[in-house]
Amino acid sequence: MDAMDCKQTRDLLSEYEDGALDAAAAAALAAHLGGCVECAGCAGSLRAVREVLRSLPPDPAPPELLPGILAAIEAEGRDARADGAPGGADAARPFFSRFRIPLEAAAAVLLFASVYWYRRVEPPMTRPPSSMSAATEEIAGARAGRSPSPAPRPVRKTAKEEAPAAAIARKARTWTAADLPSAPALRASTDSERIMPVVPSPGPTADPAAAGAPAFGERRSAEAEGGADSRPSPVFAAPPSRLLRPLPYGRDIVVDVKRESREGAEERIAGAALRLGGIVERIERGPSGAAPDTAGTVRVILPESAAARFLEEMDRIGTIPTEGKPAATDLPAGPRPGTVAYAVRIRAR
Amino acid sequence: MERPGVKGRPVDLLVEGFRKGTPGAFEAIVRAHQDRVYSFCARMLSDREDAFDAAQEVFLSAWRNLAEFRGEAALSTWLLRIAANRCLNRIRRRKSLSEREAPWPEPFGEADEGLIFQPAGGEADHPDRLAETCEMGEILTKALSRLDPGSRWMVLLSDVEGFSYEEIAALAEVPVGTVKSRLHRARMAMRRLLSPVA
Repeated sequence: MDAMDCKQTRDLLSEYEDGALDAAAAAALAAHLGGCVECAGCAGSLRAVREVLRSLPPDPAPPELLPGILAAIEAEGRDARADGAPGGADAARPFFSRFRIPLEAAAAVLLFASVYWYRRVEPPMTRPPSSMSAATEEIAGARAGRSPSPAPRPVRKTAKEEAPAAAIARKARTWTAADLPSAPALRASTDSERIMPVVPSPGPTADPAAAGAPAFGERRSAEAEGGADSRPSPVFAAPPSRLLRPLPYGRDIVVDVKRESREGAEERIAGAALRLGGIVERIERGPSGAAPDTAGTVRVILPESAAARFLEEMDRIGTIPTEGKPAATDLPAGPRPGTVAYAVRIRAR
Repeated sequence: MERPGVKGRPVDLLVEGFRKGTPGAFEAIVRAHQDRVYSFCARMLSDREDAFDAAQEVFLSAWRNLAEFRGEAALSTWLLRIAANRCLNRIRRRKSLSEREAPWPEPFGEADEGLIFQPAGGEADHPDRLAETCEMGEILTKALSRLDPGSRWMVLLSDVEGFSYEEIAALAEVPVGTVKSRLHRARMAMRRLLSPVA
């Protein structure tokens, strides 16, 4: 074999030291090492490293290794015996262990499905509407300065009492209940409303007759009817926080009404919404005892198709100032697709 | 009838005893090999707790499979094969970079070879002499831990345990040439790591 250069030599040094080179290559490499001090030094230190590694004594195993191994073997042996043992208390183990994973998987699927189903179910759209007498009592109670209970318990009404308002509400609806929410939408996709009623601000009051028996009005009328049952119901969730503030949706419009026709404007607006197949989300009046011509607000949610007709109705009830009138194409989004929402502010002129 | 590979080695008699169900045979096997297996794991994993667990796994695996051990190689070789596989699996399982040892950079650049190379000194500076005075075992373990795991186990099997190229190639399922080149690079890296000592 030809003489080697330094690179070739160093590439083969390891094999040379292992005795893995053929005779010719080994001789050529040895010849190079004889004449090259650097390569010879490299080979010497490589050999020294290998010798040191070879003489490296084994670390003694920790004394607890052997007992640990024997204990693990004993445990495994017990399991193996239990698996093979016919009858006895352990006989049932293999059966259940065989089905353990499928059972756990089925339980997980069931849990997921129930949570999913629970979250999809909307709260009932049509609530038991309160009667006019209950509404009257409620208004009387509100005027007397009784503050509404934060979470009054619902009071069961007779079918006779429920019939008129429910019939109106059913007649007015032209789309399915799932299209509209029965309570203001909440932030952060929380479902706390299911377990803790949303408490309305103490100032505004609701008119259940006009609002198609909204939830809050019903609660207050229930309170008015059953004074003894006005204890706050137990709280099952965290108190309301900023997370429970209603989402901003819809558009504010102003309706100017004459002073003489101010009274009952809320009811007329709510009635128009109901006739067009909408719902009244909330009626906000001034503080109880205030002058009848104070400003009030009616929040309504309507099907998108009824938006234009609703604005026409508002024009009949009062006057929408030109600067505040939404364009025909300007449909303020409601809380669900296909719905629009308006907060109609009544201004007495 | 004598099985292949059991020509008078006492440890193989222990294997025979284990197969025949002799009480205490497996305990004797563990006693005979635990130091070697444990130290291999400790050097591979650079972590004593991990090494402890790995060594335990090795002997448990041996206990389960010893009936299938055909005696073609020594029992120690067979155990070290299991240990190498277990350690490589553990190294692969270490997910975070912080848990991994810093891989040794490509050891040679030819350019800096001359700068790092230090010719062997006199007899007093020879590495095996220094091992006695400078706790060379510890230094070597540290140096080994800086090799990348894929090369480290080859150095351990070849230079510490005396495996042949072919045995390592069979275990690693790579060609013999790959074993040779990896070993060479790892040894040269070790030489560079230890050169301040040497």
